[in-house]
Amino acid sequence: MAVTEARAPRKADIRRPPRTDQPVKARLRRAATPWLFLAPALLLFLYFKFIPMAQAVQMSFQEVRPFLGNTYVGGENYSEIAGSADFGAAVWHTVFLAVATTAGSIVIGLALALLLEGQTRSLWFIRSAIFLPVVTAMAVVAEVWRVMYYPAEGGALNSVLGVLGLGPSEFLNSPDSSLASIAFVGIWRGAPYDMMIFLAGLAGVDRMLYEASAVDGASRFRRIWHVTLPGLRPVFAILLTLAAIRGLRIFTEVFLLTNGGPDGSTEVLLTLTYKLGLERNELGVAAAGTVLLFLILLVLTIASRLRRRDVRAR
Amino acid sequence: MSKQLRRSAGARRSGAIAVVLAVAAVTATACSSGGSGQQQDDSQPLEVWIRQDAGTPHAESAEALTKAFTKETGIEAKLVAVGATDFETKLQQRTAQKDLPDIVINDTGQLGNMVTQGLVREVDRKGIAGSGDLADRAWEAAQGYDGKYYGVPFNSQAFALLIRKDWREKVGADVPKSWDELTELAVKFTEDDPDGNGKDDTAGMVVPGTTTRGYLTWWFSTMLWSEGGDFVKKQGDGYTAAINEPGSVQAVEKLQAMFCDSKVVQPGASTADSSTTHTVFESGKGGIYLTGPYMLPRFDGSLGKDKYEVVAPPPGAEGASALAEGENVYLMAGSGNESGQQKFAEFAASPEGQKIGMGVDNGGVIVRLPVNTKVDGAAERKDPRWDVFQKVYDESGRNAPALPNWATVRQISSEGLNGVVSDCSRDVAGAMDKLAGEIDSELEKQEAKG
Repeated sequence: MAVTEARAPRKADIRRPPRTDQPVKARLRRAATPWLFLAPALLLFLYFKFIPMAQAVQMSFQEVRPFLGNTYVGGENYSEIAGSADFGAAVWHTVFLAVATTAGSIVIGLALALLLEGQTRSLWFIRSAIFLPVVTAMAVVAEVWRVMYYPAEGGALNSVLGVLGLGPSEFLNSPDSSLASIAFVGIWRGAPYDMMIFLAGLAGVDRMLYEASAVDGASRFRRIWHVTLPGLRPVFAILLTLAAIRGLRIFTEVFLLTNGGPDGSTEVLLTLTYKLGLERNELGVAAAGTVLLFLILLVLTIASRLRRRDVRAR
Repeated sequence: MSKQLRRSAGARRSGAIAVVLAVAAVTATACSSGGSGQQQDDSQPLEVWIRQDAGTPHAESAEALTKAFTKETGIEAKLVAVGATDFETKLQQRTAQKDLPDIVINDTGQLGNMVTQGLVREVDRKGIAGSGDLADRAWEAAQGYDGKYYGVPFNSQAFALLIRKDWREKVGADVPKSWDELTELAVKFTEDDPDGNGKDDTAGMVVPGTTTRGYLTWWFSTMLWSEGGDFVKKQGDGYTAAINEPGSVQAVEKLQAMFCDSKVVQPGASTADSSTTHTVFESGKGGIYLTGPYMLPRFDGSLGKDKYEVVAPPPGAEGASALAEGENVYLMAGSGNESGQQKFAEFAASPEGQKIGMGVDNGGVIVRLPVNTKVDGAAERKDPRWDVFQKVYDESGRNAPALPNWATVRQISSEGLNGVVSDCSRDVAGAMDKLAGEIDSELEKQEAKG
C-alpha cells in the first residue's frame, strides 16, 4: 500500500545523521568572534582594572616598600585598619552619609523631575542649569561650599538663615553639624543626577493610566502615589543600587571640606584609609582598607540580589 | 544539549581559563623585583627635582642654580620642577619603577620617611666641601634617627609673627613680650573693632587648625615649646611621649581657651589650612599670623608693607622657641653619578649657590634663610624684616624631633589637639593622656620608643 512505500529504509535510521554543520575551522572562528570583538576592551580592563585589583589584594597582605622590596605581614594591615579606634565611627559615618545622601537625592530628584517634566525649551534650559552641580569638579564644589558655610554671622548661608530667623550655625566647624553639612553638599550634587534618571523613567510611564485615573476622579497627589511611583519602581531600584555604591565610596567632599574633622566627626572609611595608608606611605595598609570596603560592598550587593530573588520567587 | 552548544560551552570555559592564566602570568611578571648596584660614571647628567610648580619664579631660580652648577663643574644637570601638590605621588611613581632622580630638594620633615623607604643615601658630613660653613642647626635637620646624616642642608626657615601694626596702634597696645600678652592682644583685636568698621568681624589670632598634613601641630609647636611643653622627649635610646606632662597640658589648656573661652581665633579655624589662613590675614579679618618669611612678598602686595610688622615670637613660660624647618638636598639611592650628586649638594650650599637661590632679583625664593653662615641674607635682600626671621632661627629655632617618621606623629597629635579645640567641654588632661598613649604606640611601631 502507499503508506509502506513512503517510509524511509530502516538502515538509514541506525547510521549516524550526516554532518550538517560547518567544518572545524569555521566553527572555531564563530566561537572566537565575540571574544575578538571584546578583546580590546578586555585587554584595557585587564591591564587597568583586574591586574591592579589583584595587585592590591596582594599588597594588602604585605608591607609595601617599593624600593627595598615588599615583605609579607599577613593580616597585620587589616588589623591596623579594622582595629583602629576610629574604625567603628568611620563605618557609622559612611553608612549615615550614604543613606542621607541617597534618600535626599532621590526625594529632591523626584520632586525636581515631577516639576520639570515636559518638552518646552524653557524647561530644557532650566534642567541644564540644574544639572550643573553634577558636572562641576568636586574640588571647586568643595571650595565654594566652604565659603558658603562660613561659620560666623556674615557667611552666605548664615545670612539666609538669619533672614529666616534662625541663628548662625557653625556648619563644618562643629562636630554636631559637620556630618549634616557634608550630607547636604552630597544631596545638592546628587539630586540633579537622580532627576535626569527620573525624567527618563517618567517618560516611560503609560500616559493612558494617568487619563484613566483622572477620569476616575483621582487627585494630583493620588495619581502620583498610585500611578507614577509604581511605574518608577525599576528606576528606584537602579538609583538605590547606584547611590548606595556611590555613597559608601564617599571621599572627596569629606577630604576637602573637613578631612575627617573636626574631632573625627566626619571620618569615613576612605579618609581613614587615606590617613592610615597613603599619608604615611603605607600602601599595604591603604590596600587593606580598600579591600575591606570592596568586601562590604560585595556583601551588600549579594544580599540585595538574594533578597530580590527571594521576593521574585515568592 | 546539541554538540554545537556543548562545544560553545567548552570554548567559553577554556576561554575563561585562558584569561585567568593570562592574568596570573602578567601579575607574576609585574611583581618581579629589580634594583642593583649602579655603575658609576662621573660625567653622567644629573636629574634634579625640586618641589616647586613649573613656570614660577621659584622654578626659574632653581633653573638658574642648575645652570650655574653646570657652568662651574661641567656636569650636565636637568631641573624638573615637580609641582608642590603631587610631589610625593610622583616620587612614589619613580620609586615603583626603581628609577629615582639623582637629586631631590625636599622638606627636612620628609627625611625620616625617605630614609625608612631606603630612597636616600647616607652623607658623610665631614666629607662635604665647605660643611664647616653650614649652620649646625641646619645640619641637625639633615640628621636621621640613627644620628647619621642623610642630606645636605640647602634652605632654612623660622616662623615669626606678622601683626597688624595699624590695629595694634588703634587699640593702644605695645608689642607683646610674652605669650600671655600676645593672647591679650588677640583679645583686644577680636573685641575692640580695630578696623573701625563697626562690625564684629575681626579675629585676633589666625590659626590653621585643620588636621590635614598636621597643620595644627605645625602651628602649635612654637607655642607649646615656648611654654615648656613638648610632643615627645628623649628617653634612653629613643623617645617617649611628653604631651601629657604638666607643662604640655598647661599649654594645651591655653590653646583650648583661645578657641573656646576668649574665642580669639578666626571662624572656621578648626578646619582651616594655610591657603585659607593666608586669605584671612590679607583680607583684614585677622590680626596676628604666625608664618614664614615666604609670605612677605604676597602680603606686601595685598596688604601693604606699612600695615603689618614682623615680630619675633615672644618667650613663654620657658623661654622663646620657634619652629624651624628647611629643605635639604637629598642624594637619592641608585644614582649613576654619585660624585656628581655630591658636587651638586656642595654647590647648592656654597655662597654662590645660596645667593642664586635667594632670588633677590626675580622674587623666586628657594633659599629663605641661607644655611651658609658666610651669606648674610638680610644684607643681600636689603630688607631688615628678614633679619627678624634670621635672628629667630639663630637664637630660638628648634627643629622637629628626629624621629624615623615625624610626619605620622605630627598627624596623630594634630588629631588629638583638634579634638580638644573642637569640643570645648573635653578635659584636656585626660585627652592628652590618651594622645600620649597613641603617640607611644606609634613610637613603638617606628621602633623609636626609649
